[in-house]
Amino acid sequence: MTIGFLAAAIVVVAVNLALLYALRRYRADRGAEPRQLSGGRRIQFRVGAVLTALAGALLVLSLVFTDKARETPAGGAEGLQVAHSEPLRIEATGQQWLWRYDYPNESFSYYKLVVPVDTTVTLDLTSTDVVHTWNVPELAGKRDAVPGKHHQVVFRADREGSFGGEAATLSGQGYAAMRTEVEVVSPGQYEAFIKRQRTDIQAAQDRVVRLLKAEGTP
Amino acid sequence: MRPAPEMVVDGFPKRRARWVELATSANHKDVGRILIVASLGFLFIATVELLLMRLQLAIPENSFLSPVTFNRILSLYGATAVFFFAVPLALGFFYYLVPLQIGARGTALPRLGQIGAWLVIAGAVVLYSGFLYTPSEAGVNPLPPLSELAFLANNGVDAWTSATGLATLGFVLIAIDLTTTIRNLRAPGMAWRRLPVFSWSAAICSWLLLVIGPVMLAAITMLEIDRNFGGVFFADGSGGAPLLWQHLSWIFFTGVYMLVLITALGTIAEIVAAFARKPLFNRGVTIGSLMAIAVVGTLAWMQNMLTAPIGIGWMYFAMVMSLALIVPFGLVLFNLIATLVGGTIRMRAPLLFAAGAISMISIGLAAEISHSMVAVAWQLKNTTDATAVTHFALVGGAVFGGFAGLHFWFPKMTGRTMGETLARVSFWTMVVGMLLTFVPLFLAGSEQGQVVDAYKFFDGTGVNAYNLISTIGAFILAAGIVLELVNAILSRSGGPEAGHDPWGGESLEWFALSPPDPHNFDVLPDVRSARPMRDIREAIAHRTRRAEQSRARESQPVA
Repeated sequence: MTIGFLAAAIVVVAVNLALLYALRRYRADRGAEPRQLSGGRRIQFRVGAVLTALAGALLVLSLVFTDKARETPAGGAEGLQVAHSEPLRIEATGQQWLWRYDYPNESFSYYKLVVPVDTTVTLDLTSTDVVHTWNVPELAGKRDAVPGKHHQVVFRADREGSFGGEAATLSGQGYAAMRTEVEVVSPGQYEAFIKRQRTDIQAAQDRVVRLLKAEGTP
Repeated sequence: MRPAPEMVVDGFPKRRARWVELATSANHKDVGRILIVASLGFLFIATVELLLMRLQLAIPENSFLSPVTFNRILSLYGATAVFFFAVPLALGFFYYLVPLQIGARGTALPRLGQIGAWLVIAGAVVLYSGFLYTPSEAGVNPLPPLSELAFLANNGVDAWTSATGLATLGFVLIAIDLTTTIRNLRAPGMAWRRLPVFSWSAAICSWLLLVIGPVMLAAITMLEIDRNFGGVFFADGSGGAPLLWQHLSWIFFTGVYMLVLITALGTIAEIVAAFARKPLFNRGVTIGSLMAIAVVGTLAWMQNMLTAPIGIGWMYFAMVMSLALIVPFGLVLFNLIATLVGGTIRMRAPLLFAAGAISMISIGLAAEISHSMVAVAWQLKNTTDATAVTHFALVGGAVFGGFAGLHFWFPKMTGRTMGETLARVSFWTMVVGMLLTFVPLFLAGSEQGQVVDAYKFFDGTGVNAYNLISTIGAFILAAGIVLELVNAILSRSGGPEAGHDPWGGESLEWFALSPPDPHNFDVLPDVRSARPMRDIREAIAHRTRRAEQSRARESQPVA
């Protein structure tokens, strides 16, 4: 990111200084005839070579950085120990205007995602309606959730805490309010959370079934 | 003996009312003027829409506009700025000036161009009569499935597709006329290598439109079939793919981005050469670079889709293409500035706006570098940083570059010069407005990750000050734009008389009268170089000198 901005700053400063210098230095009132110079092959090759070098350098840098960013970060000793050191797989489903997270033990949560610290998490993004963009800038880059497609975003939270995010693709009226929160907790708390979610969900379902039976067939 | 041919004159056809003549005229100058005036009107409307959105975003969690209203204004703003301002303005200038520059008496297929212009205007009427019932809510680029019937069931998206479809069809028809004209109607001696840079950019943009226009028309038709005839082009699960629209529409929008910049750079090249009194530095390389921008730039369309589920190989392809653009853009900017070096520069309004355009475009393009580096783009895409980048490049190109062209060719079109003082005031107001509007958005996007297109932002996210400054800046920018439009309106009948060649230009449009006759030229010179007007001036000077010398000899007393 810094290198991109640095390159941009250099380009902007160079172009604008050259422009200002030329405009001030060659004013008509200095009283000279215009030089009828229409080309310079040598200087054009040199400028072309410099520009090509700049583009090539940025390309190589970007490839290196992107490769690093795509590397699956390994889970640490503090984190949740998953079998065969596979990343922890959580499904994230975008729907107008809420995120649903499905955990491995068939429990789920809305809006808030709870993940264990120091653990590699693969978020499997999809959508049930329109295109949404999952965006928690402090943890990972943006990825689109497109209906009918599965799109992975991999991240590892290094410290416990709460990280906010806003969806980043216009998805209708409630778009601006489509936020999410990632809570990073210790592996023990994470296990307890998904277990509690599961029992709560089960209890709620049982209650609904019981009520329906008491009322008769709906 | 064969009878001599007979010529019967019934007198001139009766003139109808002026507006009827103008509306039914297929003369390229009338059509071009209609396009330019209409697009400047839509610039005003787009500015008002931008102000409304900025007002809503002045303070956190504002309730000035409802989310639906905000999304409607956003959708109208995008369509107006691209389809009814930027592209029609470029095409209007091309259509007016290309026949004059290449020494033709008109275009090759005048009715086609006329139909094209009126299709664009019909599109605008559809878009804004949609405002009476329900405009689209699907945003600047209406991505399916959001733009599908299931999610936006009112006819707003249909109005959007009809409007942009009519306009795109109009662009393609005008492009057909322009390519045919440039191919067939060049004056004797006007070889391709002698074609003025602005006409070259017209040719390149027309070829580009012939490629990208039909792509957009296909996408729009597919969306309409999806919405109204049970199609599944963009529906997942039935063999369709939402990503298909993204590819097709981004090919078009990326091409248009390049079109705007190529037009601006072509305009600036003419102005820089005229005001430095020098030929363009390395003409051939500059024109070749403009061609490369059209091809390579459009191939970089997936630079807009780096967060979408596409393979990493395609992302690298987009990255290679967009970083490769550094070379042609850099060469053109270098050659524009090198043209100034060693010249005798007269700092008049056209050059002022041209310099401003170079400056703004350089900021936009440089910032675009970050958006081309895949890992960085994952952070920056869809933040207000992207809004700022796009606006620096496109407002720099279409508004600053467009105003530079307006100042430069206004004398040719009306016979009068635009006010110089007012131009300076509006220029500096616009520069201050641009920087105040979009630099804070850069920072809000890159530092705090404020997302695009949202109708509100929340308190405590660290972007309150940025958004307030940006709103104030937008009002200053709007004031500058309005001043410039007022300048044009006042100067149309009240400006100082300009004469036929006010700037000492070097292409053939300055050989015609100001404003030109309907048939452009009574006689056409033989073109012998890339600077025909300079040749004409030299020939006249030479002849005057010779005549004076011979007169002087004759008046010598016989010794």
